[in-house]
Amino acid sequence: MFIHNVNPSIKAITIILSVLLLALVFDPITPFLFIIWIWFLTIGVAKINWKKYLLYFSPFLIFAVGMFWSNLIFANEPINPNAAITLFGRDFPTEDVNTALSLSLRILSFASLSLLFLLTTNIVHFILSLMQQCKFPPKLAYGILAGYRFSPMIKDELFLIRSAHRVRGVNRAKTLKEGFNQYKRFAVPLLASSIRKAERTAIAMESKGFTGSRDRTFYRQFTVTTKDWIFLLGMVAVLLILIIMSWQLGYFKWYNGEL
Amino acid sequence: MSIPRIRVSQLKLFYEDDQKQPILDELNFELKDHENLLILGPSGCGKSTLTHCLNGLYPRELDGAMQGDISINGVSANNFASGELSLQVGVVFQDPETQFCMLTVADEVAFGLENKGIATTEMDVRIHEALGLVNMTAYKERVISTLSGGQKQKLALACILALEPEILVLDEPTANLDPKAAKEFIQTLDQLQQKKQFSLIVIEHQLDGWVSLIKRSIMMNTNGQIFFDGILHDGINQHRDRLEKLGIWIPRATKIALAIEKQGAYFFNTLPLTINELASYPISYNGLDKKKTVKADKRLLLKARDISWSKRNTSIIKQTNIDLYHGQFVAVLGANGSGKSSLSKLLAGIQKPSRGTIHLDDRPMKNWKEKDLRKKIGYVFQNPEHQFIADSVFDEVAFSLRLQEYSEREINNRVEKILNQCQLTGFDDYHPYTLSQGQKRRLSVATMIVDDQSLLILDEPTFGQDAHSTKQLLHLLVERYNQGTSIVMITHDMDIVHHYADRVLVMEKGHIVLDTTPEQLWNYPVGKLNQWQLELPKEVELKQLQQKDVGYVHT
Repeated sequence: MFIHNVNPSIKAITIILSVLLLALVFDPITPFLFIIWIWFLTIGVAKINWKKYLLYFSPFLIFAVGMFWSNLIFANEPINPNAAITLFGRDFPTEDVNTALSLSLRILSFASLSLLFLLTTNIVHFILSLMQQCKFPPKLAYGILAGYRFSPMIKDELFLIRSAHRVRGVNRAKTLKEGFNQYKRFAVPLLASSIRKAERTAIAMESKGFTGSRDRTFYRQFTVTTKDWIFLLGMVAVLLILIIMSWQLGYFKWYNGEL
Repeated sequence: MSIPRIRVSQLKLFYEDDQKQPILDELNFELKDHENLLILGPSGCGKSTLTHCLNGLYPRELDGAMQGDISINGVSANNFASGELSLQVGVVFQDPETQFCMLTVADEVAFGLENKGIATTEMDVRIHEALGLVNMTAYKERVISTLSGGQKQKLALACILALEPEILVLDEPTANLDPKAAKEFIQTLDQLQQKKQFSLIVIEHQLDGWVSLIKRSIMMNTNGQIFFDGILHDGINQHRDRLEKLGIWIPRATKIALAIEKQGAYFFNTLPLTINELASYPISYNGLDKKKTVKADKRLLLKARDISWSKRNTSIIKQTNIDLYHGQFVAVLGANGSGKSSLSKLLAGIQKPSRGTIHLDDRPMKNWKEKDLRKKIGYVFQNPEHQFIADSVFDEVAFSLRLQEYSEREINNRVEKILNQCQLTGFDDYHPYTLSQGQKRRLSVATMIVDDQSLLILDEPTFGQDAHSTKQLLHLLVERYNQGTSIVMITHDMDIVHHYADRVLVMEKGHIVLDTTPEQLWNYPVGKLNQWQLELPKEVELKQLQQKDVGYVHT
């Protein structure tokens, strides 16, 4: 549970720092090793169910594989065409494979980092911590929280409106234009009720003495302790060690605008 | 002489879009320490506007002009910093869904404490205490969206109580609750008054339930003027003939008493407000005239066999059979979550049952084309706005006629007729969203009867409506019923059931547990009725009380 309990703001900063560092690097080894490290943290340390993890991870995986393949096929003219690797019964220049691999592993490393954050962080706690550690304005923060509460309600309401319109004899949209018009019709009642709800909620919040001022206390207090700094420094340190390792192995390259 | 908690003097308020017609007109009143006050008025009389004035939201957030003065504890409301006044005057609003901004119960109660700047270490005790006051301690860690409407309203009350305001304002707190939850809420408040000291203002359009709690009342009319300020009993006595016309729900017991007076059987010097009071009078009462005409039409309209329906793996309707006949007025009753709405949607063909078959006019539902089905069955949703698709009242009603390509003249005739029937004549060019609640409701019914549908299904159509619009709506339904339309109505209002329905279906946990007439339903033991969350209609209650008295005298 260590990762769950890291201060959400520090966790976010750590993730952003790691992403920035990774963005500077361009070789296949660093992100590959880093992904393994993140997976170890997510599944091994944070104990996220691996089936659930795979489900969230799969879209990124598909995207990365596609990226890899298209980069291989549509690669730039290689500088050193003689060094080749055989893949799927076909020869590809080594540097092309390296570039493609680096690019797709980059995507996967960013994805794993984001998932590590999302799967171990309570969004409400994150926003509360942003207010307490990062001077995020309460007006915005509580607005987002109230909106977050509304989102499932809006989904239910959309479903209701759709059946209510069906009863009125509105046909199911067949063409794109009809579909567009239909959504326009859904939008009016949905907007009307959302605005009304938002207004009522705002009034109710003000009636509980909310003024948006930063001068407030917190029921759930988030503090930054040594363990949070250990997490931040540890993550950066691991990444730096991996970069040095790949440098020693001779793979390391600065990112130079490759696509 | 002590300073009044609240003093409102010469309060006059205009909105920007209509500067001639004031929303509140020359209001003057005072509220003493520990006093309970009931402000009665029809919807649209400016009650909610008054609430906003009292807790300091207006004039700060007002698009318009406000004259006169409000002082709280002798200090003018203008002298309070923003947010400060709302800590002294706590408000609970009508809609249980939109009073919260956090996800869990504890966080929500804490929200107000945080605003007030209570130390973190003190909060847990305060939260516990506030939840204890409304008997919700067990729900401290619950997610708010999993609570029932009644629990949400109690939570809203707890949030305000945690701030320890000296004045509590409740703005139609029970209007969106079913009768059982409403009763519970008022009981909670009653217990609360014995534990804690505060002044209380309840703003309402209905009286039932509040009578025992509150003695003093202010009555307002639709022009935002006060026409009575004094003892509730006296007000009702004085204005007995006007209240209903003004759209104020008078207690059912009083209504019965008025009917008795009308029959010339007895004259009440002071009108009774509760059934027990009424039962103590030496009157013999045989029930109001029923508008019901029982028709012996036994043609089958809809037949459902073994229908089940489940949502996200929870089965909601379980193997249910129903036969609906032409010309019936059916009331569907039962506790919240017993499957009433789901069943009605299955019958209307809006949802498909996961198992079982439904026949309409001897033809399986699935063989009906959607277009033809809608000409047979109308369905009125709980929120009328959901059903609106056009930009004017006329187009709204004409919509389905135009789909069927009637001539413009024919459309004109039929729309005018329907609008007339729904008392919406003259509103042709209005945008549906600009209508009042009652008008919106009638318009949504209008769109569902324009094709002369033989079955009309309504999901709690009287919910949240004031006395006047409820009456108009029921009048409209009875008219359709007399023309041969079958009506299936989900409702919590037992008096409507008693007066209008000729058949009741009681639902419990996805089953129809009882299919009978209202008269027979009232004969069930009270324990059984409570289990289904039903209560006796006041008329029946009165009769039973009188019979008990007679029995008592004889033994």
